[in-house]
Order: sequence, then structure tokens, then C-alpha cells
Amino acid sequence: MAKALPVPGLNPGTRFADAAAAAVGVRAREVFAHADGVLDTSNIERVHDMRVATRRLRAAMEVFAACFPKKEHKKLLREVKALADVLGERRDPDVAIAALEGIAAELTAADRPGIESLVDEMRRGQEQGNDRLAAALEHLSESRLEERLAVLARSVRRPESSPPSALNGTVPA
Amino acid sequence: MKPRKVKGLDPEGPLADNARRIVEVRLAELRSFAPKALESGGQETLHDMRIAAKRLRYVLEMSEPAFGRAATDAAKVAKQLQDLLGEIHDCDEMLPRVRAHAEALRAQDAEALCDGAGGARDLEPGAAREAPNRARYRGLESLGTYLTARRAVLFERFVGRWEKLESTGFARELLDRLNRPEPAPAARADGAAA
Repeated sequence: MAKALPVPGLNPGTRFADAAAAAVGVRAREVFAHADGVLDTSNIERVHDMRVATRRLRAAMEVFAACFPKKEHKKLLREVKALADVLGERRDPDVAIAALEGIAAELTAADRPGIESLVDEMRRGQEQGNDRLAAALEHLSESRLEERLAVLARSVRRPESSPPSALNGTVPA
Repeated sequence: MKPRKVKGLDPEGPLADNARRIVEVRLAELRSFAPKALESGGQETLHDMRIAAKRLRYVLEMSEPAFGRAATDAAKVAKQLQDLLGEIHDCDEMLPRVRAHAEALRAQDAEALCDGAGGARDLEPGAAREAPNRARYRGLESLGTYLTARRAVLFERFVGRWEKLESTGFARELLDRLNRPEPAPAARADGAAA
């Protein structure tokens, strides 16, 4: 699993809204950085990394919800959740298949045909999940989700005296 | 499960104050599920508790710049709890699938035997030897038994883990530590790697 990228410039005194902009900006970029190769069922870690990145983004959006314009935040959070769901539909069979294959290897030869038949059923679910993920990824670029998330990250309310890029909180004494 | 609303968040206020409020609510939320989860061991409550542990973990991870090692350590505890509850959840999800799959195989076999009877007045027991899926039942039964037993073992472990956390006052300690933050391992003031 890919380690979360650090969100630079944060400290205890950072304005909450600035922390929101920084965290959501980094977490959103992370999601799309993991989009390559997720449809490759021979490497199940890729879809896992993108799913984890999506979860982190969703968590950041929920934690910092109070800092964003309500309507756009709600809409984008729903879209991020839908992406997470479709990644989960592909990832869950990956995990289940790996677990069942591990169990089958530990049981007797007479036990294996039953477990293998369940694995076969799950492989069909994995393929369906992959088809849905392919459609979702196509929709992702059409809907410009990455760009709209970047806009959301920049849309937090700024104090009048601070430039938009400032992360200038101070550590309380 | 919808998260509890956190009141009094201020976008203009410092990260530490806001994060502390969120951690307090998420921690209380997690603990609120424990009595029912420990008593019933039911799938739904344990699932809710897993989601609560995940939410607590994420807010702690995000507030590491504000709370340093206190957040890092508590996030690890929340992750361990989430992982353990996740393993139980996997058993809960897999068991019905195993049963449903075995049931579907039985239905297929019954249909095949019925078709093979070719309009006979009765069916000989020996016909079951021709059931196309007959070699598959045993593995599914073994798998179901294993998952049931594993679930029970993991639940015992969860109970022990939770009781230990509560008896050592992890919640009180976490809230205390958030009020006197230490540098995070990767963000120490002297720049040294921890």
C-alpha cells in the first residue's frame, strides 16, 4: 500500500481552512496519480493504492467539510464516494480470491474443488467490477473531477490579509 | 453509518483546536458502540464500530502536524482495532456467500438429477452419485466451518483488546496527550528522523 504523501506546511496554529485547502489538494492529486494501470487484474495492488488514496481524500473532505462551500462540497464528496465504491467492487473480489486461494492451499485435495468453484464465481465478479471501473474511469475524465477538486481546494474562505497560498499559522505558546 | 456531527468547528480557528474537537467526537462515537458490540458480537454493531475506528484513525492521521506523536500513536491503535474488526467483517461477509454458493450448487444438482430421471415415478438414491457438483460440497462445508471458528477466535481477541484499551485508560490518555502535543516522528523540530 502506498504511503500517504505528507501535507507540507501544517502546524498546530495553521488556520483550519488553510489546512483544509492543503490537505484536500494533496489528497486529490494522490488519487489521480494512482489511476494508471488499475484495470490490470494481474497486479491487484494498483487498484488497492487508488482505492486507499480515494479513502484518504474522502476522509479529508469529511474532516474539513466546514471549510468548503456546502453545495459543491456535497456534490464532489458524493462523486468521490461513488468512485470509492466502484474501486471497492473491483478490489473486494481481489482480496477474497487471494484469501480463498490461501485457505485452499492449506486444506486437503478433496476440499479444493468446492473452494475453487467459489473462486471461479468470484472471478466473474472481479471481471464485472473491472468493467464498471473502466466505465467510471472514463466518466472521471469527462466530468473533470480532478480539476473540480482542485477548484474546491482553492475555494476555502481566505482571511483578507493573507495571500491565497499562505499556510502561515503560528505555533501557540 | 452517518458520522456524528461535530459542533463548533471554526474555519478561521487553528488546526489544533478544530482537530481536537473532531477527535473527541470520533473517540466518543467509537466507545459508544462498545457495550452493544461486546455483548452481542453482532455483525452490524461490529461493522459500525469498525467504521468509527476508521474515522478516528483518519482524523488522527490528518492531525499529526497538530498533535505530533500523540496522534501518531493513537492512529496506530485505531488502525489495529480497525484491522481486527475488518478481519471479523470479512468472515461475516464471506460466510453467507459460501452458504449461497453451496445452495446454488445443490439447486443445480437437483435440477440435473431431475432432468436425468426422464419422467420416472421415483428417483433411486444412487442417482446422487451422478450429481455434477458432488465433489464440491465438502470443501464448502470445510470452508464454512473454518470461517465460523475463525470469526469466534477473532471476536475473542477483539474483546480482549478492547478491554485492555479501556482498562489502561487509552481514551483519557489520548485526550490528555492532545493537550500537550509532542513532535511527530517525521516533523521533529531538530529535523532528525525518529
